[in-house]
Amino acid sequence: MTAGERIKVTAALLAVAVLMPGVWNRPLAVSAAEAEVDETNVQTVQGSTASSSSEKVILRIANWEEYIDEGGWDEEEAIELDNEDETVILGENSMVEDFEVWYFENYGVDVDVEYSTFGTNEDLYNQLTLGNDFDLVCPSEYMFMKLIAEDRLKPLSDGFFDENREDNYYIRGVSDYIRNIFDTNTINGEPWSRYAAGYMWGTTGIVYNPEEISEEEASHWAILADPKYKGQVTVKDNVRDSYFAALGILNEDELLDPDFINSDDRLERIAELMNRTDEETVKKAEKILKQMKENAYSFESDSGKSDMVTGKVLANYQWSGDAVYTLDQAEIDDYILAYAVPEECTNVWFDGWVMLKDGIGEDSAKQQAAEAFINFMSRPDNVVRNMYYIGYTSVIAGGNSDIIYAYADWCYGAEEESEDNIEYPVGFFFSGDDSDPDYVITAEPDQANRQLFAQYPPQDVLERAVVMQYFDKENNQRINQMWVNVRCFDLSSLSADDWGRIAAGILIVIALAVVFWKRDDIFRRKS
Amino acid sequence: MIMGVFRFSRKQLCIPYALFLVCFVVLPLAVIVYYAFTDGTGSFTLANLLSFFTNGNTIGTLCYSIVVALVVTAVCLVIAYPTAYVLARSGLKRGPVLLMLFILPMWINFTLRITALKEVLTLIEGNLSLHPFLNTVIAMTYDFLPFMILPLYTTLLQLDVSLLEAAQDLGAGPAAVFFRVTLPLSMPGIVSGVTMTFLPAMTNYVILDMIYNSTYIMGSLIGSYFNIYDWNNGSMISLILFAGICVVSVFTGKVDQSDLDNRGAIL
Repeated sequence: MTAGERIKVTAALLAVAVLMPGVWNRPLAVSAAEAEVDETNVQTVQGSTASSSSEKVILRIANWEEYIDEGGWDEEEAIELDNEDETVILGENSMVEDFEVWYFENYGVDVDVEYSTFGTNEDLYNQLTLGNDFDLVCPSEYMFMKLIAEDRLKPLSDGFFDENREDNYYIRGVSDYIRNIFDTNTINGEPWSRYAAGYMWGTTGIVYNPEEISEEEASHWAILADPKYKGQVTVKDNVRDSYFAALGILNEDELLDPDFINSDDRLERIAELMNRTDEETVKKAEKILKQMKENAYSFESDSGKSDMVTGKVLANYQWSGDAVYTLDQAEIDDYILAYAVPEECTNVWFDGWVMLKDGIGEDSAKQQAAEAFINFMSRPDNVVRNMYYIGYTSVIAGGNSDIIYAYADWCYGAEEESEDNIEYPVGFFFSGDDSDPDYVITAEPDQANRQLFAQYPPQDVLERAVVMQYFDKENNQRINQMWVNVRCFDLSSLSADDWGRIAAGILIVIALAVVFWKRDDIFRRKS
Repeated sequence: MIMGVFRFSRKQLCIPYALFLVCFVVLPLAVIVYYAFTDGTGSFTLANLLSFFTNGNTIGTLCYSIVVALVVTAVCLVIAYPTAYVLARSGLKRGPVLLMLFILPMWINFTLRITALKEVLTLIEGNLSLHPFLNTVIAMTYDFLPFMILPLYTTLLQLDVSLLEAAQDLGAGPAAVFFRVTLPLSMPGIVSGVTMTFLPAMTNYVILDMIYNSTYIMGSLIGSYFNIYDWNNGSMISLILFAGICVVSVFTGKVDQSDLDNRGAIL
C-alpha cells in the first residue's frame, strides 16, 4: 500500500461526491443502479449513431501496472529460441495494439481497447465500487474469489473451454498443475475456472544474501521475527501476506513434524492450518506480527526490492516474480542474492483474468472480444513477450507448442558445459511429472536457489504450496482489525519510565507556558 | 438594452470559486458526514463515534500523532524563529537570497527530498529502522521548516522598528524588548506557522511510510480503514480530526486576537 494509492482513495471519495449527488438521502445501491441505467441509455444512443459507420467493440481492461509487454524492443533484444522452429520473438508494438490488429484480422471486428492500470487489488475494488466500469480485469486470486462470492463476475463461455478450437490458446496451453487448482478451488460450490483464467502465478518466499544468511535460516518463516536479524529484514505491508507468514511461524513445529510431512494428505492439512481465522489463532498471530514489527527493518509495499538490491537489508519477504526482478537487478552490480521458499509451507498465488457483469452485460460481441484477449495473451509467443517484459511466470505451459519451455531453457540453460551443472527438472509444471526427461534444464549450479528456482519451483516446493482462501466478511473484519492493532501505537507498551518522561515533558511545557503567559509580571519585577 | 439586463456585478467574480467550493469542499464534507453517521447498510448509527473513543488503538494513535506533531512543531519553531529573526532584522545584505535558499527545497517534490534524506540518514545512522521516531521528526522538520520560516519572516519584516526603539528608550533591556515587544508582535506569524506545521504533521503518513516508521498516525489509520472498504469508520475518524482542527483553529485565532489587543492596550 503506497502513498499514491491512499491519495487515490481520497480522490475517489471526492469523485463520489461529484458523481453521485443526492447520495445522502438515498441508499448507495439505488443511486448506483440509477447511474447504471443512465449509462446504458447513453450507450444505446451512442450505439445507434455509431452503427452507421462500423460496429466497433470497446473493451475496457484494467491490469496491474507494468504487467503487460509494452513493446518498443530493440532489434538486439530479439529472443532467438532454440526450439524446433527456431522461433524469434520480438516485441515491436505494445501487446494491446497487436491484439487490436489480430482481432480485426481473425474476427473481422474493430476492437478498441481502453487499457488502464491499478496499483493494488483494493484500489481496483474501490474503483469498481465507485462505478468505474471495466469489462476485463486481472486481480489476484483472493480478489477474484471475493468478486465471485459477490456475484459480480460473468462466467466464461463454453466455447472458451473448447480444446479443439485452434485459437483457444488458454485452454490448450495452460499448465495442468494450474488448471487443476482452478478446477478444484471453489467459491459457493463453483470452481474458479468457471469465471477466471490465470495470467501469472508464483510462490512467496524469502530473498536473502547468501553471504550473510545461510540457506537453512532463510528457509523458515521464523527469520522474519528473528532478533538475530533485527533491522535487517523487510516484511510485506499487506495483511494477507503478513498473516500467512505469522501462521507459518505459529505452526512451525507441526508443519515440520516428520509425521506431518510424510502424511498422504499433507497439502490438505497445510491448507487447513494456514487458512485458520478463528479468534484464538488471530490473537496469536497478532502477537507474532507485533514482534515482527519491532524486529523488521520496515513493512514495505514496494521499497523492499531496492533496499535489498542496495544492501540495506539482508533478507526480504517477497513474491517469486519480484524475487526474480530483485535477483536480476542485484546481478547487474555483481551482487549475488538467492531465493528460498520456507520449508514449512508457501502461498501459491495467481493473478487471473475475469469478466465483470457490470461491464460485459449481455453484450456477446464484447464477451467474445474479452475472451479473445485472454487467448491472445496466452498465445505462446505472446506469453514469452510478457514474461520477458515483466519477469513473472505465466500459467501457460504451451500445450503442443515448445516455445515456452524453449524460453525457460533460453533464460536459464547453462551457457558453458561444465561438470558442476545441474539437471533441473521443470516437468511438474510443463507436463505434470518432474521425472519427464523432455523437460529438464541443464543449468548452472546456483540456479537451484536463484531465478530458475523462483520461476519454476520444483515438485517438492509445490507439494507444500497452498492457496490462501478469501476470508468471509466476519473473518476479514477480525483479521483487518488485528492488522490495525499491530500497526497502531499501543499505549500499554509504555513502561513506567516512559510515563515518567512524558510527565516531565508535560510539566516543562506547562512551566514554559506559565512563564510566557505571566511574562509581563516577571519582567516588570525585574525592571 | 440587453447589456442592461445582464448587468455585471463584482459579486459575479466569486462564482468560479463558489462552484469550486461547493464541488470540492462542501459536497465531499457532506459525503464524509453521511458515511460517518451510517453503518454498512446505510442506516443511522453512532457506533463509529463510540468505537473511536472506546478503542485503545485509535486513542493510542491519536496520542502518538499528537506527540509527533508537537515535537515536530516545537523543533521547527526553535529552528525557524532565530533563522527568520536574523533574516528579517539583522539587515543582512543578502537576506532575500538567504531566504531563497531556505525556500528552495519547496520547489523539489517532497517524496524526492525524503528519498534523498533517507540515504543521508542511512549514512549517518547505519540502519534506519533503529530510530523510527527520531527519523520521523527529522524528516518532517526538514519537510515543514519552510512553512514555519515564511510566515515568521513576513511578520518580523513588517515589525515597526520605532516600537522597539521606543521600548529601548524607556529603559527596557534587550531581553525585555524581545519578550515584551518583538515576541508578542510576531504572534500572528507564530500562530500561522504552527498551524501550517502541526496539522500536516499529524496526518502526513507518506513521510512515515517513506522513512520506515511502521507505526500508524492519524492519516495512515484513516487510509487503512478506506483500504479495507470500511468507509464508515474511516469517515468518522476524518470527521473527528476535522472537528479537532476546527477547535484548534478557533482557539489559536482567539489567542492571536486577544493577545494583539492586550499588547495594543499595554503599548
